[in-house]
Amino acid sequence: MEQFFLQLTNGLTVGSIYALIALGYTMIYGVLKLINFAHGDLFTTGAYLGFTVLASIALTDRLGQYSGIIVLAIMVMVMVGIIGIVLERAAYKPLRQSSRLSAVVSALGASIFIQNAIMLIYGATFYFYPQDILPRFTINFFGIAVPIMRCIVFMTSIALMIFLYVFIQRTTIGAAIRAAAIDQDAARLMGINVDRVISIVFFIGPALGGAAGLMVGMYYGHINFTMGWVYGLKAFTAAILGGIGNIPGAMLGGLLLGVIESLGAAYISFAWKDALAFCVLILILIFRPTGLLGERVADKI
Amino acid sequence: MKIKKIVMSITLTFFLVSGAWAATDFIKIGLMAPMTGSWASEGIEMKQVLELLAQKINTSGGLIGKNVEIIVEDDGGDPRTAALAAQRLATSGIVGVIGTYGSSITEATQTIYDEEGIIQIANGSTAVRLTEKGLKHFFRTCPRDDEQGRVAAQTIQKLGFKNIAILHDNTTYAKGLADETKGHLQSNQIKICFFDTLTPGERDYSTILTMLKAKKPDVVFFTGYYPEAGLLLRQKRELNWKTPFIGGDATNHPDLIKIAGRDAAEGFRFVSAPLPKDLPFRQARTFVEDYQSAYGKKPNSIYALLAGDGFRVLTHAIQKTKSLKPKMISDYLHHRLKSFRGLTGRITFNDKGDRVGDIYSNYMVVVKTAFVLQQ
Amino acid sequence: MKRFIFTNNYILWLIIILFFCSPMVLNRYWVDVLNNVGLYALLGLSLNIILGDAGLFHMGHAAFYAIGAYSSAILNTQYHIPMIFLIPVGGIMAALFGAVVARPIIHLRGDYLLVVTIGLVEIVRIALINDVFGLTGGANGIFGIDRMVIAGLKIRKPHHFFYFIFMFIIFSVFIFSRLKQSKFGRALNYIREDETAAQGSGIHTAHYKLLAFVLGAGWAGMTGVIYASKMTIISPESFSFWESVIVFMIVILGGSGSIAGVILGAFLIIGLPEVFRGFSESRMLIFGGAMMMLMIFRPQGIIESMPQMYKIRNKP
Repeated sequence: MEQFFLQLTNGLTVGSIYALIALGYTMIYGVLKLINFAHGDLFTTGAYLGFTVLASIALTDRLGQYSGIIVLAIMVMVMVGIIGIVLERAAYKPLRQSSRLSAVVSALGASIFIQNAIMLIYGATFYFYPQDILPRFTINFFGIAVPIMRCIVFMTSIALMIFLYVFIQRTTIGAAIRAAAIDQDAARLMGINVDRVISIVFFIGPALGGAAGLMVGMYYGHINFTMGWVYGLKAFTAAILGGIGNIPGAMLGGLLLGVIESLGAAYISFAWKDALAFCVLILILIFRPTGLLGERVADKI
Repeated sequence: MKIKKIVMSITLTFFLVSGAWAATDFIKIGLMAPMTGSWASEGIEMKQVLELLAQKINTSGGLIGKNVEIIVEDDGGDPRTAALAAQRLATSGIVGVIGTYGSSITEATQTIYDEEGIIQIANGSTAVRLTEKGLKHFFRTCPRDDEQGRVAAQTIQKLGFKNIAILHDNTTYAKGLADETKGHLQSNQIKICFFDTLTPGERDYSTILTMLKAKKPDVVFFTGYYPEAGLLLRQKRELNWKTPFIGGDATNHPDLIKIAGRDAAEGFRFVSAPLPKDLPFRQARTFVEDYQSAYGKKPNSIYALLAGDGFRVLTHAIQKTKSLKPKMISDYLHHRLKSFRGLTGRITFNDKGDRVGDIYSNYMVVVKTAFVLQQ
Repeated sequence: MKRFIFTNNYILWLIIILFFCSPMVLNRYWVDVLNNVGLYALLGLSLNIILGDAGLFHMGHAAFYAIGAYSSAILNTQYHIPMIFLIPVGGIMAALFGAVVARPIIHLRGDYLLVVTIGLVEIVRIALINDVFGLTGGANGIFGIDRMVIAGLKIRKPHHFFYFIFMFIIFSVFIFSRLKQSKFGRALNYIREDETAAQGSGIHTAHYKLLAFVLGAGWAGMTGVIYASKMTIISPESFSFWESVIVFMIVILGGSGSIAGVILGAFLIIGLPEVFRGFSESRMLIFGGAMMMLMIFRPQGIIESMPQMYKIRNKP
C-alpha cells in the first residue's frame, strides 16, 4: 500500500507538469485549431532562461529562498510569454488563411529553429541548476515520507491551473477567448478583437509552459536542449486525453497521464512506460474520440 | 523550371569537382567522439588530449617526416550518427581512427572502417563482443567487461554485501557488464534480488527507485552511464533512501557529482580504471602537467587518456614500421608491440586486439566531491 | 508536363545521364550521400501515396520503414534467408502491419490522424528498444545482416548500392505514375480534394484510404530492407519520429503529390546539408527557418503537383 501511494505521488507530480504544458497546447488549439509543435521548445526555453537569470543575478541570495524563486518564476513566465507572442507573429499569423497543413509544417519548422537556436546559444552539453536553492526535506503523509519538492511542484501547478480556469471563466477577456475558440468569425462580428485574443493566448500558454520548464529544471537539476521533445509529446497526449480545446480536460488529462505512467511503470513494466502512454492515446482516440471531456474529432457523415 | 535545372546542374558539377582532393603532406588520423549528446564532456576531452599529443609530435620533427593532422567527427553518442561519421572519416584519407566511447556506438562503425582497411583503436568500448568478430584492424586500449565484471563482483563481496540488486540500461555495454557481474556473484552464492533495466535519457526515475526500495537490497549495482547514475543518486536521496549504490566504470565522470548534487554523491562507490590524477606512471604525470598548462585544468576522464594512448600506440607503430599501410601497422601492433609505456600503464595487444594486463584492480569512493582511490 | 520534360528536354536527359555516370568520378563519400538521398527519395515516394495523393496526414512513416528493416534483419540473421528474397517479404510484412494499424484509425480527422500516427511510430520504436519477443536486440539493434547478392554480384560498395537504389527508384516512379493514372489514383485524388463529394459519388473512401496506407507501408518496408543490407546494423534510433518528420518534409516541401517534386525534395533536404557540412552547427537552424519561410511564401512546395491529365480514348 505504501508503494502504491508513493507511486501515486510520483505520478501526480509528473502529471502536474504535463498538465501545465498541456494547457498551452489546448488553449492554442482551441483558438487557432493548430497543434503548436514548438510548444515543447518554449518549455525548454523557460528552463534555460530560468537558469540564465539564476546564474547571472543570483536572485535567491538577494531575496531569500522562497521569494527569490517566485520572482524568478514570474520573470521567466513573462519572458517566455513574450517569445510566444513573437513566435505567433512570425510563424503562424501569415498562415491564418492557409491550409492546416501549412501551419503544421511551419510549427515543426519553428520547433526545429528554437531547439537549435538554444543549442547554438548555450552549447550542447547539459546545464545544471544550482543545487542549494531548493528545500530538501520530506513531509509525512499518513506515515509515508513524501519529498517536499514534489508537493511544491504539484501545488504550484494546481494553483496556476485554477488561476487560469478562473481567468477563462470569470473575466471578460476569458469570455473573449472562449468565444474565439468557438467561432472566430462570429466573435469578430461581435466586436471582439480576435488578433488581440490570439496574442493573449500565445502569451498565457507559453508562459505556463515556461513555468513548467523552470520547475523541471529546479526539480530534476539538469537541462539540455532536447528536453522539450518528450515532454511536449506527452503533454500533447495529455491534452488529447482530456479533450483538446478543453481546459479542465487538459488538467485532468495531464494528471491522469502522469498517474497511468507511474503506476503502469511500477506494476507492469518500466521499459514500456512511454509506450503505455501512447497506447492509451490511441485507444482513447479510437473508442472515445471526444477525449474524456472534449469535442468531436472524427468526421462520419 | 529552367532555373531549377541550372541549379541542379551546378550542384551536380559541384559534387563531381569536389571529388578531387588536393594531395597534402600530412598524416591524417581520425577521431570519432561524442562531441554532442549526453557524453559530450567525454568527447571534448578526447579531442583536447589528441590535439595536445599531435602538437607535441609536430613541434618535435613530425612523424616520419610529416606533420600529423587530427580530423574530428562527431558521433553524437548514437549508432546511426556514428555510422555516418565513420563514412565521412573513412573517405578522408586517414590512416587510423581513435574512437569511440560507448560500445554500441563503436560497434556500428566497425565494419565501415574494416572494409576500408582503416585501423580503429577504441578507447571507451568495453563490450566483450567487439573483439570476438575477427576484425584484423580493430584494437582497444580499454579493458573488457568480463574483467570488470569479475572485479565488480569481487569488490561487492569484499564489502560484505549479501543481497544485491542489479540495474542496467539495456545498452550493449551495461547489459553485458550486468550479466558478467551477475554470473560471478551467483557462482559465489550471493543472492540477486533484482535484475532489470531503466530507460536512459529520461529524467524521472522515482518509480523504479521506489520499486527497488521495496525489495530491500543491501546494495544496488548500477552498470549504466554517469548521467543516469547522477539522477539515480539524487532522486534516491530525495526519497530518503540510504542504501548504498555502486557503479560501473561508465559512472566515472566528475559531472556525476554535478548532476547528483554534492550531498547525494557523497559516499558513492564505483569500479573503474584509475583516474588521470591517480596514475602512478611518469608518462601520465608529465602529460597531466602538460595538459594543465595547455588547457588550464587537469584532465577529468580516464577515457580521454585511453584515447591518448590509442593515438600514441598508433603513431609509435607508424614510426617503427615507417609505413602507413594498415596491414603492416596491424601486424606491428598485434605481434611486435610489447609493454609499450602508455599513459595508463603498459600496453600489449593480443591477437584479438584486446589490451592485455590488469587495470581494473581498484575502486573509488566519492568524498567531498572528489574521487578517492581505495586499494 | 512530365511527358514534356522527358521527350523534349535534352538538357534534363543530359543531367540524368551524367548523374548515372557520377559514381565513376565521385569519391566514396559523395556516392554514399547520393545513396542516402535515394533511400529517402524512396521513402518520400511511398509517403507521397498516403500524404500527397490521398491527403492523409501521416507522420508515422518511420514505423513502416522499421518493420521492413527489422523483419528482414531478423529473418536473415536467424534463418539465413538471403536478403534479396526478403525485399518483397519485408514489404509484405510492413504492408500487413499498415493494414492492421490503419484499419481502426482511418476515419479520424486530419490533426487527430496525425497525432495517432506519431503515437504509433513511438510505440514501434519503444517496442524495438525493449526487445519485444526477444527478437529485436533491444537498444543495440541487430547486427551482422548480410549483403544482397544478385546473380553472384554482392552489393557491397557504395556504387553497387547506387545503381541498385536508383534502379529501384526508376521502377517505383514508373509504377507510381501508372497508379496515378489508374482508377486507384483518380479515387485518391478525389478523396483528397473533397471527401464528402467522393463519398457521394459512390467511392468507398475508407477502402481506398486503407489501400493507400497499405501500399505506402509496403513500399517503405521494401526500402527498409535495402537500408538494412546497406548498414548491416540497424538500431531503433534510426526509426524515430524525427525520421518521419524528415520524410514528411521531403514530401511537403518538394511538392506533395508530385513525383518529381518528392525526388527533388530528397536531394535538397538530404543532399544540401551535406554540402554545407562546414556550417554543421547552424545547419538545422537554417533548416527550421527555411521550413517556416517556405510555408509562408510557397506553400505548394517547390514543384507543385500538376493537375492530372488523362487520356481520352478515341472511340471510333
